[in-house]
Amino acid sequence: MSQDQDSFLYALSSNNAWAGYKAHQNPNFFSKLASGQTPQILWLGCSDSRCPETTILGLQPGDVFVHRNIANIISPTDINTSAVIEYAVVHLKVKHVVLCGHSACGGAAAALGDTRVGGVLDTWLTPLKALRHAHAEELDAIKDNGVRAVKIAELNVEAGVKVLMANYSIQDAIEERGLEVHGCLFDIASGRIKDLGFGTKGGRGIGANGAGENVVKGKHAQLVFRGGNASMTVR
Amino acid sequence: MYLRQTHDRVFESNRAWAAEQTAKDPEFFAKLAAGQNPEYLWIGCSDSRIPAEQITGLAPGDAFVHRNIANLVCNTDLNAMSVIDYAVTHLEVKHIVVCGHYGCGGVKAAMTAKDLGILNPWLRNIRDVYRLHEKELNAIKGEDERYNRLVELNVIEQCRNVIKTATVQQSYAKNKFPIVHGWVFGFHDGLLKDLNIDFEGVLHDIQKIYNLTD
Repeated sequence: MSQDQDSFLYALSSNNAWAGYKAHQNPNFFSKLASGQTPQILWLGCSDSRCPETTILGLQPGDVFVHRNIANIISPTDINTSAVIEYAVVHLKVKHVVLCGHSACGGAAAALGDTRVGGVLDTWLTPLKALRHAHAEELDAIKDNGVRAVKIAELNVEAGVKVLMANYSIQDAIEERGLEVHGCLFDIASGRIKDLGFGTKGGRGIGANGAGENVVKGKHAQLVFRGGNASMTVR
Repeated sequence: MYLRQTHDRVFESNRAWAAEQTAKDPEFFAKLAAGQNPEYLWIGCSDSRIPAEQITGLAPGDAFVHRNIANLVCNTDLNAMSVIDYAVTHLEVKHIVVCGHYGCGGVKAAMTAKDLGILNPWLRNIRDVYRLHEKELNAIKGEDERYNRLVELNVIEQCRNVIKTATVQQSYAKNKFPIVHGWVFGFHDGLLKDLNIDFEGVLHDIQKIYNLTD
């Protein structure tokens, strides 16, 4: 209990230190933040604690609008995700929607297993289970558990991108102002994000041919899609 | 040329970062790849200015995260409910933090007299919070102050909604965790304010009606 209390207090004291450091680095940092947000990226990712989007993209507060749920499942009738997409695309007018899955996902493992998870989770994971059954042959042929989990994570991103592309607000934004939709996968063991090539760029993917390069400029840093990888740099 | 150089720098700094992590803990990446054991579930706003991990200084692996418009926890939302289920039952987090922020666009939008389409059903929950605390809020003269108080009351209501779940009630009865906290982030100073929710007291009060333990 006392240890739990310590780790809780750690987060609050750590916030204090972070705020002091940021204000020292740039005295205008917080007043600028307080004036509003103009993120260019909407990130749809997994709740998994090992996928902190802003950290792994190397971006800063103000750069990425975020929704994270169990196994980054995009269901067309989910009001929670739909509200996030609507607000980000129509009201904040983000330029990129990035749906990102990851290796070693607990949701993927659950969908690949035969035991019921319990609570409301089985209902939430239904789309992932459906993918497993639709691609049973392909998935069963993969002997390595980790590789099979990556495969279903990729299929999940592909399915999610399809749902995104069918969203009217997204369709309008693509048509009217060139909104881009990307499907990616984060490899936890290496820390790298791979562009899977789904979405507005079709099968080619951003930089998937190894030559192209696409730069997403945040307020404080930029994200570079290149050679099938995404990486960042602080400006 | 500029792009080429920055690209190299990314890999350089990434290598340096990876080497530093490995020097501090040779097993860092192996452990990270093996699984997660977070102490916290963070329920926060989608707002780009509040990356949970950076403002709390928590490392990858420390906090399981759900972020949506205006950090709402709605009874019939299977998305957020699944997150709570997984974090409490399977990851056994010790703390659940609902973190709102002053100047929340979602809260402002919710109080605007306008049809916002698919956002209506989601933002309606904030109007309900207002209705619950109408007297207190109407008595506040300044508009900014009134919104800021609504932000705080919204966090407190969402904490109550977390405590209303069977998952949290049953885990607490058995394990004495998780504990639910309400925080508010302020952009002006970057600091988190603890609303000091009396978890035991709220739980006891809620269970008069919402008791889901056997």
